[in-house]
Amino acid sequence: MRGVALEKVIKRFGPTVVIPEMSLSIEESEFVVIVGPSGCGKSTTLRMIAGLEDVSKGKIRIGGKDVTWLPPKQRDIAMVFQSYALYPHMDVAGNMSFALRLAGKPKAEIEERVRRAAEMLELTDYLARKPKDLSGGQRQRVAMGRSIVRDAYCFLFDEPLSNLDAKLRSSMRTELAILHKKLDRTMIYVTHDQIEAMTMADRIVIMDKGIIQQVGTPRDVYNSPRNTFVAGFIGSPSMNFLDGELRGEDAVAVKGDGFELPLAPELAKRAKKTRGKKVVAGLRPEHFAVEASRAGSSESTYAKIRLDVSVAEYIGSSQFLAAKIGDAHVTAAVEAGPASEPMSSGNYLFDTSRVYLFDRESGNAI
Amino acid sequence: MADYSERRFARILGHYLALIALAVLALAPIWIMVATSFKNDVIVQSKEPLWFFFVPTLDNYAYIMTRGKFDTYLWNSVIVGTASTFLTLALGGFCAYALARAEFRGRRFIANSTLLIRMVPPAVLAVPAFALVVVFNIDNDLAVLIFFYTALNLPFAIWLLFGFYKQIPVELEEAAIIDGATPLQVFFRIMLPLMKSGYAVAGIFTFRIAWNEFILALLLTGRNTRTLPVGAAGFITDTGVEWGRIMAMGTLIVIPPLLFTFFAARQIIAGMVAGAVKG
Ligand SMILES: Nc1ncnc2c1ncn2[C@@H]1O[C@H](COP(=O)(O)OP(=O)(O)OP(=O)(O)O)[C@@H](O)[C@H]1O
Ligand SMILES: [Mg+2]
Repeated sequence: MRGVALEKVIKRFGPTVVIPEMSLSIEESEFVVIVGPSGCGKSTTLRMIAGLEDVSKGKIRIGGKDVTWLPPKQRDIAMVFQSYALYPHMDVAGNMSFALRLAGKPKAEIEERVRRAAEMLELTDYLARKPKDLSGGQRQRVAMGRSIVRDAYCFLFDEPLSNLDAKLRSSMRTELAILHKKLDRTMIYVTHDQIEAMTMADRIVIMDKGIIQQVGTPRDVYNSPRNTFVAGFIGSPSMNFLDGELRGEDAVAVKGDGFELPLAPELAKRAKKTRGKKVVAGLRPEHFAVEASRAGSSESTYAKIRLDVSVAEYIGSSQFLAAKIGDAHVTAAVEAGPASEPMSSGNYLFDTSRVYLFDRESGNAI
Repeated sequence: MADYSERRFARILGHYLALIALAVLALAPIWIMVATSFKNDVIVQSKEPLWFFFVPTLDNYAYIMTRGKFDTYLWNSVIVGTASTFLTLALGGFCAYALARAEFRGRRFIANSTLLIRMVPPAVLAVPAFALVVVFNIDNDLAVLIFFYTALNLPFAIWLLFGFYKQIPVELEEAAIIDGATPLQVFFRIMLPLMKSGYAVAGIFTFRIAWNEFILALLLTGRNTRTLPVGAAGFITDTGVEWGRIMAMGTLIVIPPLLFTFFAARQIIAGMVAGAVKG
């Protein structure tokens, strides 16, 4: 198989196990994003693929070739470091062309590639500057430029946009997506920003504590999170979790402190098979609605739910409500509505077709 | 207000007086050396020392240049100084690089003990060194002196360069490796340019010590392998100390390390790795 594959990879630093065991296969020219909280082993994984870190056990294949014990140079990869790692004694052009110069590429080609990369990264005016005379965002773009001038089989990015302002970040996201289409190369991209993950990825790999929690398309992981970790990590604002119990023989509803929601038949069928009655209900903020907006439709899957609203944050298209259901704090995102109508406590609606249930003990989705 | 600026003035004045006093202390011996080198014997021996106003003469310089073996000594010193400095920096540099980067047992101990070895005064080593040289019958060879100076300077150079290497982020090497550099390319194209300041500082110390060293040189050199300090001491004779000539020699001895230091100091740049990594 071509592409990039990790086969039962284990990574220990001395006594600490950072990656207990990981298997992952990435298709050729796929754009895979690895997300996870800080310290979960994203950089370590990337560094093992790059060959900067030895695996403690397991195999790594790139382009079908077993590269587990090959040095980085022979792996045909380019990488953007989380910490930039710019050569301080070279100017921007020198930094970007270093790999090409080492490879002995003709001068004209080097200049052309650097020029194109600089244009895309809006660095043309800074080519003669040294890294120390650049802003954080500019340095990050140089780090990016240094890798994209190359023609590698696989590109590795370790949080390459973390230091950019929102506008530049979103334009860089687009540029990267275009670049990926154009180059048609395998790209593995690490971030802890789930929006970056959702917008760019062909597939998302969600990691926690060195363990892959779920691999899937952005839609997959959003619509059918496999456990509470994935459910809480993907989606913004994140999913609300409420302890509850299944009602009735056929698990027709989930009831907890301050709420009772009927379950969709599909979910009820699955819930019936689980032994315990104790569950966690997952409610995404965006599936709440203001009552008035849904009233009247007979096919409605919406059910009433009471929110004790403490603060409403207006963000333009919608507003976030910081509220309580029973004693639990929740966030709801609802239509902004007219300004004259202050958001207050009372009955709201929730789309019962979008209720998630998790086993309270294991955290696994039902 | 007036009070404040007066006090300020007094403080600055005090500052400068102290600085002037220190400068005089440091520079007076050099002035005496240089001045004496231009005096003839009569003035040197005169009861009241003439500090500034005397008729200068180049006799002492003419004498040491023509009558002694000044050119041989100078050549020996240059060879010994540069060769041992080069060797020290090359060997010490690689050693420090390894200590700063490679993980191996006892690394810490070695890194820290280098400085301890440095605490041994060279004079203590003189006799054993002499014994070794006699046993192996290798005295009278510049290579021996180069060897001992290198050995003498290595610990300090390693310790110093170790500190400089430590400051260079590992990610820079990793980035270069990813860019396809071989270990040698990483060293010569990334590390060495960033280590310029470190090597310059180490070089200044190493060269100065090798250039000025006296006791080992006295013991380990013969007629044709003497270095300048040993040569200068030759003017202390049975019939008296030839001050004018010693000082002329001393004045000439000072010049090469000065030039070397000026050249090397220009390589010292603060904040060499600024901008390399985040934060
Ligand atoms: N050289 C090392 N020695 C020991 N432990 C290490 C080493 N490198 C990383 N770790 C540990 O491995 C874990 C994973 O680190 P890693 O850098 O891969 O996290 P990450 O997911 O990239 O986090 P972040 O988002 O903060 O960059 C951390 O707990 C870290 O402390
Ligand atoms: Mg990281």
